[in-house]
Amino acid sequence: MHKDPDRVPGEPMTLNFGPQHPATHGTLRIVVELDGETVLKATPHLGYLHTGFEKLGEHQDYNQFIVVTDRMNYLSPLSNNFGYVLAVEKLLDIQVPKRCEYIRVILAELSRIADHMVWLGMGALDLGAFTVMLYGFEEREKLYSIFEKTTGARLTTSYTRVGGLMRDIYDGFEEDVRRFLNGFPKTLKEVHTLLTRNRIWMDRTKGVGVVSAEDAIDYGFTGPCLRASGVDWDLRKAEPYSSYEAFNFDVPIGANGDVYDRYLVRMEEMIQSGRIVRQALDNLPDGPINVDDYKISLPTKEDAYGNIEGLIHHFKIVMDGHGVQPPVGEVYCATEAPNGELGFYIVSDGSGKAYRIRIRPPSFIHFQAVPHMIEGGMVSDIVAVLGSLNIIAGELDR
Amino acid sequence: MGLESQLGDNIFTTTIDKFVNWGRKNSLWPMPFGTACCAIEMMATLASKFDLSRFGAEAIRFSPRQSDLLIVSGRISIKMMPVLKKIYDQMPDPKWVISMGACASTGGVFDTYTLVQGVDGFIPVDIYIPGCPPRPEDLIDAVIQIQRIVEQESVSPKRRRGAIAS
Amino acid sequence: MSEAQQPLAVQKVQEQYPDAILDVSDARGELTITVRKDVIYELMAFLKNDSELAYNFLADVTAVDYSLMEDVLMKYDYARFMVIYHLLSTEKKERLRVKVPVHEKALSIPSMTSIWKVANWLERETYDMFGITFEEHPDLRRILMPDDYEGHPLRKDYPLRGRGERETFNFEQQNA
Repeated sequence: MHKDPDRVPGEPMTLNFGPQHPATHGTLRIVVELDGETVLKATPHLGYLHTGFEKLGEHQDYNQFIVVTDRMNYLSPLSNNFGYVLAVEKLLDIQVPKRCEYIRVILAELSRIADHMVWLGMGALDLGAFTVMLYGFEEREKLYSIFEKTTGARLTTSYTRVGGLMRDIYDGFEEDVRRFLNGFPKTLKEVHTLLTRNRIWMDRTKGVGVVSAEDAIDYGFTGPCLRASGVDWDLRKAEPYSSYEAFNFDVPIGANGDVYDRYLVRMEEMIQSGRIVRQALDNLPDGPINVDDYKISLPTKEDAYGNIEGLIHHFKIVMDGHGVQPPVGEVYCATEAPNGELGFYIVSDGSGKAYRIRIRPPSFIHFQAVPHMIEGGMVSDIVAVLGSLNIIAGELDR
Repeated sequence: MGLESQLGDNIFTTTIDKFVNWGRKNSLWPMPFGTACCAIEMMATLASKFDLSRFGAEAIRFSPRQSDLLIVSGRISIKMMPVLKKIYDQMPDPKWVISMGACASTGGVFDTYTLVQGVDGFIPVDIYIPGCPPRPEDLIDAVIQIQRIVEQESVSPKRRRGAIAS
Repeated sequence: MSEAQQPLAVQKVQEQYPDAILDVSDARGELTITVRKDVIYELMAFLKNDSELAYNFLADVTAVDYSLMEDVLMKYDYARFMVIYHLLSTEKKERLRVKVPVHEKALSIPSMTSIWKVANWLERETYDMFGITFEEHPDLRRILMPDDYEGHPLRKDYPLRGRGERETFNFEQQNA
């Protein structure tokens, strides 16, 4: 490591990084042992945001748990909602209508853009580029207003339901989304001019936190982090779900597996998400949004508040032991969330509540590789690596 | 007293309390203790659309020793609570605390084995913000409420808020 | 299901490790095999290294406490826990679930850390939440809960609201 023969060896220094640190994006903690500025050893600690989601899932019915999934990866709640209900629908063995699938895809891809925008802003902020954060949040605010008009909430959307959606999209949704789609590539272009060929940015990110393709699979990497290492693996292509096979899009692949490649992959993914949304809007089918099964779908709000049959129907589904009751069995359903493979493993004992819900969190698995990526590097690379992995504490600790 | 008439237009007289509080309330330095979803809304509050700097509270300091307003935003687990307490203790007086969102205030929807059911059991809280998560406007409102509390402060130890209780 | 119709993974495992498989199911397009604990390490290495199967990616490790599901308990000789591995082959695009019954009296299972590095933390989490020990794990400590925490939260006899830890947790030690 140290090529200078005259260098006086010193005592290693222990540095505590987190759990409250501006560059940890939440509550991570890494204890690093330093020799000068070189990282000798890094020990991550986690659990500072452990909330007991999996235990809570055993005490809530299937629709109630959607609310909890919002708070897992809070940068893109719609993707979590989506992944979870897909698992329950697989357990129930039902197929939602095409319109519902398309709307879910549109919103999941928009929240991928929203997620990557925050990642971009915060990652750049950690390396000293403040402007990019303001640009990223400006685009995100536009998405927030679309989400709010659609779901009623900016952040904690809880929009999907088992077997459908909370409600249909509003009039003018298409125009709003198209306006956004036309606008955001301009911001990305500006960011490209700010960062991509920027000397400082390249020096801070190129060759930093390198993960080879082999190591990436060994460490269980998924999503943009795996693809930046040069592995062509995207669940939307490999195991298409929810009509993803109907859309044309490219999967960007990196070559070196360093921070810079992860940055480029994510930047391109946003453009590709925009392409998917455009195609979905062009071909958005008409029709119902919920499955035609009165034992699963809730009645509309007008019915529930307007007539006694609707009220009874609503009550029956919401009441414990009468609503969604999947058959005994187990299911593992993985979706391509913005950070990687988000899997839900659900064991049902035939009652209205899951017997066990296990969430396979991409952040947890990526965080495990942090010592491998920073040991031997400089102390200032830690923030660059953490920023590039986009570790979300809510998903990390659950 | 008639003194002001001698001073002309360039000099005002006021009390030292009012003068210090005016300075304090318009230059709050928040320490954002962001752990979960609320932290994202806090970031949105600081970003361009909502812009907390309009209220003089944009100088975010991640060092507790430099800040006077602690914003607890997000769920606090039993593993995190000692850290939060330590950060609160490190902040110099006078200091104020905002408990942002349902989780920090009451535990929210997470009534589970690991979550502290309200940080007010361990540190004093001045303003609670309801919501899961609260909107940026709510956080701005809370900062304005804190400014009102700051106005009541006094530089004299005898008249300081909470002096009677201690 | 006759022998010839069995999926390739099942056939190969049966060839290599006769009597290891306790149960095979293929519900909802998800192939699941339940296997005996004593061969699990070799079996997993075989699933990864065999060129026709090539389950090179360990997606998840977790466990389920079956103490409230009587029929599952009966089927596997009252083994309370089941350790569950989700495997994926990025080459063949196949998934496989491997389940291993673990008795409460012998609450341990070989660690897969030397086969997949990703197993390290996933096994630590399973240890933390269920109390299942992983033999020859390099660093088996609690991961999510504090070090001095007692009990294993995801067991079925552990109450949702805890046993009062929320009020009595250790304030001092954590700051070290």
